[in-house]
Amino acid sequence: MIGFIARRTGWALFATLCVIVVVFALMFVAGDPAATTLGPHASREAIHDFQVREGLDQPILAQLASYLGVGRCVRKNAKGYTRPDGSRGFCGLLEGDFGVSYSAREPVANVIARRVPRTLVLSGMAMLFELLIGVTAGIIAAFRRHTWTDTGIMFGTFVGISLPTYVTGPLALMFFAFLLGWFPVGGYGVGAWEHIRHALLPALILAVTGAATYARVMRSDLIDTLRDDHVRTARAKGLGPMAVLFRHGVRNALLPTVTLIGLSLPFLVGGAIITEKIFAWPGLGLLTLEAINNLDAPMVMAVVVMFAIMVQIGNLLADVAVAMLDPRVRG
Amino acid sequence: MDPRALRRFRKNKGALAGLVLVLTVTTLGVAGPWLAPHDPNRQFRDTLVLADGLPAGPGSVPGHLLGGDPLGRDELSRLMYGARVSMTVAYAATALAVLIGVLVGLVSGYLGGLVDGALMRFVDVVLSMPFLLLAIAMQRVWSAPGLWVLCLVLGVLSWTTLARVTRAKTLEARNHDYVAAARALGYPHRRVLLRHVLPNVAGPIIAIATIMVAQMILAESALSFLGLGVRPPTASWGSMLSEAGGLVLGMPRLVVYPSIFIAAAVFGFNLFGEGLRDALDPKE
Repeated sequence: MIGFIARRTGWALFATLCVIVVVFALMFVAGDPAATTLGPHASREAIHDFQVREGLDQPILAQLASYLGVGRCVRKNAKGYTRPDGSRGFCGLLEGDFGVSYSAREPVANVIARRVPRTLVLSGMAMLFELLIGVTAGIIAAFRRHTWTDTGIMFGTFVGISLPTYVTGPLALMFFAFLLGWFPVGGYGVGAWEHIRHALLPALILAVTGAATYARVMRSDLIDTLRDDHVRTARAKGLGPMAVLFRHGVRNALLPTVTLIGLSLPFLVGGAIITEKIFAWPGLGLLTLEAINNLDAPMVMAVVVMFAIMVQIGNLLADVAVAMLDPRVRG
Repeated sequence: MDPRALRRFRKNKGALAGLVLVLTVTTLGVAGPWLAPHDPNRQFRDTLVLADGLPAGPGSVPGHLLGGDPLGRDELSRLMYGARVSMTVAYAATALAVLIGVLVGLVSGYLGGLVDGALMRFVDVVLSMPFLLLAIAMQRVWSAPGLWVLCLVLGVLSWTTLARVTRAKTLEARNHDYVAAARALGYPHRRVLLRHVLPNVAGPIIAIATIMVAQMILAESALSFLGLGVRPPTASWGSMLSEAGGLVLGMPRLVVYPSIFIAAAVFGFNLFGEGLRDALDPKE
């Protein structure tokens, strides 16, 4: 078992490294960040200074090595971001250094640390709605199987899966925020209570697809579980239908849903680009979009690294869980 | 197709409705440019832009059934041309993903051993690529991307599920007697794979590919919505949505029309794909 985990961890690290290299190369060929950052009227000297300061005049392999922290730092020391002794040693990921954002002109880690809680508020609430709505709908559909309630819920989940956030978002904004005035029109608000109030509508919109997915998974697993012997035994014991449903059915059928939650963890942090754009929610998604449009390579790389690591952790946990349950997989 | 599967499919009303939707949007994608009443990029400044600068509403100007868009272009024609963009990207990207995925899955499952291990690790790597982010970044690389770049990006990033399913099904098929017989006859690997294994793993692949078309439609319009897919003035459902976004209060119809098309197309392919899956691979 330990060998299996070690092997999988090694592969996870390798996969993360591959992602870093690919995106780094992409950002390298995407264009000159100096021109994008400094604007169209920047002087040639300013652009040159920028390139020297950020090490963009170095060969790509030197830049990559510097970014990873396995080679000499190509970034010129700027005040505030140097190592305490002022040396030009290593300055990359291995040192825990994500670099300095081109456009924000402050360490990437600081910018991200500010944005992560905001995205977590939005995604956390979305996940809550997904589970509440999805699991409830799934249970009702399974319990009322082959009735119009079931058909209606299943039709609803199909509509939910087919409606992307950029369709539901603007329409909900128009209807519930502008016309009815139930929700704020976007933005983030000031103060904890305001944050939550502003997050309600975007979180609901973000939850549509997930809720539909959970409802479908929950329904099919619950239907399978309700056919099991232990459920029949419980019924034969004379337990009421509700007790059978919840104590013996739902409890067992929740397992695949829990796995799904695990696999959706990366998206909790990184996956709300479009929703954040529609509702002007200043989280990681909006940050990513801005960073890509500004060719802010250190920022883009940081988001990518975070996402890749989360995906790997999610997969690793899922694999380990499966391996613990099923010895054949360990091989 | 297996006649029993066909019968199961025909009894599934949802799947039939899906098929009708699929045929409709596909026809629109093929024939849209001929059906469209006007050039989608022509601005009708005299008729479709009113005195106050707003576009004419639906039905108010003869010859323009759905009225005009904010730039005075014929809304219906743009929707029909948008169908061509969506369908081209969705089908081409899916075809590419199926090609790569099935090839990798077949080889991986059939040969096994080291090749299998290496290919499956490669799948893991591709899986951990952040899809939307990479698509956006690659769009940024080609500053004026054509449709084909879009198809390439989407296809190359989304074949992994297909590879895994094909591999699992191939592993299953490999142990069947007819494959052993074909091998015993001394047929080359290629023939065994294409003539004996592939037909028997095709069912789930077709179903997954159909649902994948729906996801590709979503991906294309998402990118175009973000301004990173099809570039203006080319009409695409996603870019029409983003152009109308700021006007949602005054002219909700400009958001509603493309939304209906996207939802109908995605809904159709999802329904059809699920129906195919149930018909080809009955669990109950």
